Amino acid sequence: MTSGPWCGELDIMNGTDVGQLVGLATAVELQGVTREYGTRQARVLALDGVSVGFPAGSWTAVMGPSGSGKSTLLHCAAGLERATSGHVVLAGQDITGASDRQLTEIRRRSVGFVFQSFNLVGSLTAVQNVALPLKLSGRRVSMKQVRTVLDSVGLGDRLRHRPRELSGGQQQRVAIARAMVTQPAVLFADEPTGALDSTSARTVLGLLRRMVDVNGQSIVMVTHDPAAAASADTVLFLSDGRLVDRAVRPTAVEVADRLARLEG
Amino acid sequence: MFRLSLRTFRERWQLFIGALLTVAMGVALVQSALLILISAASPVIPAGLTPIEHQQVSDGYTGAITLLAMVLALATFLAVFIVSSTFAFTVAQRRRDLALLRLVGGSRGQLRRLLLSEAALLAVLGCGIGVPLGLVAMRIQSNLLRGLGFVPPQFTPRWQDWILAVSFGVGIGVALIGVYAAARRAGKVAPLEALRATGAQQRVMTAPRWVFGLLFLAGAIALMVLAPLVGPDGAIPMSINVSITAAIALAALSPLVVPLVGRLFGLVLRRTTIGGLAQANLREGVRRSASTAAPLLVLVALVIGLFGTLSTIATASRIEMRRSVHADLVVDSGAAVAGRIGAMPGVAVADTQVPVGVSVVTHDDGDVETEGATALVIDPTTYRSTHPLRLAAGALTDLHGAAMVVDQGDDLSLGDTAMVRIGGRSVPVKVVGVLPETLNGGQDYLLPRDLVPASLLAGPSQTVVRLAPGADGAVVTRAIRDDGGQVRTVAAWLAANASEQDKMNSGIMTVLMGLAGLYALIAVINAVVIAAADRKAEFATARVTGLHRRQVVRMALVEAGVVTTIGLLLGLLGATGTLIGIGSAVSKFTGRGEFDVPWGPLGLVTLVAFVVVGLTSVWTTLAATRIAPVRLVGAHE
Repeated sequence: MTSGPWCGELDIMNGTDVGQLVGLATAVELQGVTREYGTRQARVLALDGVSVGFPAGSWTAVMGPSGSGKSTLLHCAAGLERATSGHVVLAGQDITGASDRQLTEIRRRSVGFVFQSFNLVGSLTAVQNVALPLKLSGRRVSMKQVRTVLDSVGLGDRLRHRPRELSGGQQQRVAIARAMVTQPAVLFADEPTGALDSTSARTVLGLLRRMVDVNGQSIVMVTHDPAAAASADTVLFLSDGRLVDRAVRPTAVEVADRLARLEG
Repeated sequence: MFRLSLRTFRERWQLFIGALLTVAMGVALVQSALLILISAASPVIPAGLTPIEHQQVSDGYTGAITLLAMVLALATFLAVFIVSSTFAFTVAQRRRDLALLRLVGGSRGQLRRLLLSEAALLAVLGCGIGVPLGLVAMRIQSNLLRGLGFVPPQFTPRWQDWILAVSFGVGIGVALIGVYAAARRAGKVAPLEALRATGAQQRVMTAPRWVFGLLFLAGAIALMVLAPLVGPDGAIPMSINVSITAAIALAALSPLVVPLVGRLFGLVLRRTTIGGLAQANLREGVRRSASTAAPLLVLVALVIGLFGTLSTIATASRIEMRRSVHADLVVDSGAAVAGRIGAMPGVAVADTQVPVGVSVVTHDDGDVETEGATALVIDPTTYRSTHPLRLAAGALTDLHGAAMVVDQGDDLSLGDTAMVRIGGRSVPVKVVGVLPETLNGGQDYLLPRDLVPASLLAGPSQTVVRLAPGADGAVVTRAIRDDGGQVRTVAAWLAANASEQDKMNSGIMTVLMGLAGLYALIAVINAVVIAAADRKAEFATARVTGLHRRQVVRMALVEAGVVTTIGLLLGLLGATGTLIGIGSAVSKFTGRGEFDVPWGPLGLVTLVAFVVVGLTSVWTTLAATRIAPVRLVGAHE
C-alpha cells in the first residue's frame, strides 16, 4: 500500500470538493446530484444532494453500507444513469442533459468500465473482447496494441481463450485490458475485486494502481472491501445517499473501522 | 461487427437456427402457394375435349383458384407473423449482450445496423434454403390438390423465373420488418442493463403493442359485426379474417393477457412447491411466455376458426337444401326413363333437370366477356311445384322460349339480354328471373327445355319425384328401378350430398392447413427451444438451491403446460369470434344463429399442442441441465 503525508488523517466533510482540497484538476465532478427512484407513492432517495469532485490522476474509492447509494453514485458519475437534479461534469463536459449520441461518444473516448461480474462477451476471445471498444468506435485496430495491453495485464499467453476458459481473476484482467485499450481519462470500477480470491484481487488492484501512477488516469471505484479501498488515494464514505466521511490514504484497518461505525 | 454476429451464432445457435428455419419454411410456403395459384389461373386445358368436358376442367380450375388464393393468403400471413415474432424474440433474448456493446462504446445506430444486417444475412440464407424447399412444398401441395380432386389430374404447377425475386423479396422483407421494431427497441437498451443479473426485465407491453393490439382487436370486432350484413360469399372470408385479426390482436396484447390467465392458474399451482416455482417463473418471464403462446394461439385460432366455419356452413346448407326440395324421391337416369316417370302410377310430380354446358357472353363497359357455366334445363311448372323457392326478381312462369333465370351474383339483371351459346349455336336470351342467394351456391343458370336442342337433353339427368297422396314409395321405387333409373329417397340424397360436402370440407382443410399447420407447429417448437436457450443459469441456480434435475424438468413441464393452455384458450377466443360471425351470417338463411363447434379437431389440436410443447420442453430442459450446475452458477459469462 502506498503511504503519504495524508495517511491516517480523518477529515469529516460533506459536499466539499476533494479536488480543490488536494489541489488537482477534477476528472469528474458532481454538483448537488440527487437521484430518486420509484413512484410518487414509494419514493426512494438514493443520492441526496451529493457534491464532490474526483481529482484527475488519482484513485478515489467510494465506500458505504449496502443501500447507501454507492453504485448509484458511480452510475450517475459515469453517465449510465441520469441524475434527478444537479449537474455532472465528466471529462470537461456537462453530461446532465447530454444526448445519447454524446454519451456514447464519451464512453468511447473518455470512459472505461470494470465490473464485479466482468461483463465480457462470452462468444469472443480475450483479444476480440479487448479490441471491441476500438472497433465500435470505428478506430483502426492494431493487433500489436491489443496484444501489448493484454501482455501488460499478464495475459500474453491467453490471447485466444474465451471467457469461460479463463479463471475469474483472468477474466477481470481481460476486462481491465478492455478498459485500458482506449486509454480513457476515467475508469469506473464497481466492486472490481468482489468476485475474486485475495491473490487475484491483489493482482487486479496492482494493475489499477499502475494505471493511475504510470498513465496518469483517474479511477472512481465502488467497493465493499477495505483492502481494496486502502489501495486508493482517497476514500469517501457514503451513508443514506450523503457523503459523510473522507479518508486520505488510510490503511485497511482504518477503513474497516470507519465502515463499521457507519454500519453500526 | 459481422465477426461478432458469427461468434454469437456459435453461442446461441438455437436462436439463429430457429430464425433461419422460420424464414425458409415461410418462403417455401408462400412460393409454393403462389406458383400453384398462377399455374391454376392460366390452366393448360388439353385439346380434344367435348365442350362440357372442357367446361368441367375449366370450372375445376375456377373453383380451385378461390381455395388457392386462400392458401396463399394464409401462407403469407403465417410467414409474416411467425418470422417477425421469431426475429423479435431472438433480439429480446440477446438484450443483455446488446447492453454490453452499448457499455463499451456501441452507439444506437451500430446496434440497429448489426441486428438489421444480421437479419438480412439470415434471411438470404433462409431464402436460399426456402426456394428449393418451396419446390418440395409445391409437389406435396399439388399432389394433395390432385388427390382430393380440387384440380384436374393432369395439373402440374409451372416454375416461373420471377418467383426467385418474389421469394427473396418476401423472405428478406419479412425478416427486416420483423427485426426493425425489435432493433429500434434494442438500440434504446440502456448500457446499465448489462449489469443486471437477468437482462430480460424490461417493459414488454410497449406502445406499438398497445396500438397494434387495440387496432386489430377493433378490426376483429368490426369484421364480426359486419360479416352477417354482407352476402354469404363475403361473410365466409370475413369471418375467417376475424380469427386472423383476433389472433394478431391477442398476440400483441399477450404480455397483458398471459400473466392475467397465469395468475388464475397460480391459484391452483401455488399449493405445491414445484407449481409455485413454475408460477413465479411465468410471472417473471412474461416475454418468454407470450412468445411461446403466440404461434400456438394463431394455430388454434386458424384451425378451429376454419373448421368451425366450414362445418357451420355445411350444417346450414343442409338445412337450406332440405327446405328447398319438396319431394320424396330423387332419380338419376337417362332421358328416356326420366320422360316416363311422370306417367307412372303413384307419381304426383316428376321434375326432370338436365345439366348442360353453355357459354354466356356479357358486355361490360365495352369489354366482351365469355363465361362458361353449367346451366340446368328445367320445366318451370314441375320445378316450381317441387322447389318451393321464391325468386328474388321476375317469375319462373316466364321461363319459356329465349329466356333464362340467373343467379343473384351474376353480372346480368332482370330484363337484360345476353348471347348464350348452347350446343354450337348462339342465341340472344332474355333474363326473366333472378334466383335468391343461397348458402350452397345453388345454380348459375336455369333454362327452359324449348331453348335447348333435343340432342343435348338426351344426356344423364336428375328427376325429383313427389308421390301422390297415399302412394307407396316402395312400389314406385321398384317401378322406376325396373325401368332402369337409380332411385334414392330425398333423405338419402341429402345425406349423400352432406357427406360429400364433409369430404370436401376436410379436403379443403387439408389443403389449407396441412403445410401451414405444420409450419405453425414448428414455430411453436421453435419458440420453446429459443425460450429455453436462455435458462441454463436459472436452472442451475434452482438445482444448487436443492432441486433434483427431475424436479427442474417437472417445473419446466408445468410452465409449458400453463403456457400451452393459455395459447389454446386465447386461440379459442379468436376462433369464437369467427364462429359467432359465421353463425349470425348463416342465420339469414336458416333462421337459427347457431354455430358448430368442431370438437374433433379441437381435441386433436389440444392433444398435439400438449404433447409437442411438453416433449420439446422436457428435451430442452434436459439439454440445459446436462452440465453440472456449479459450473454455471459461478460463471458470469
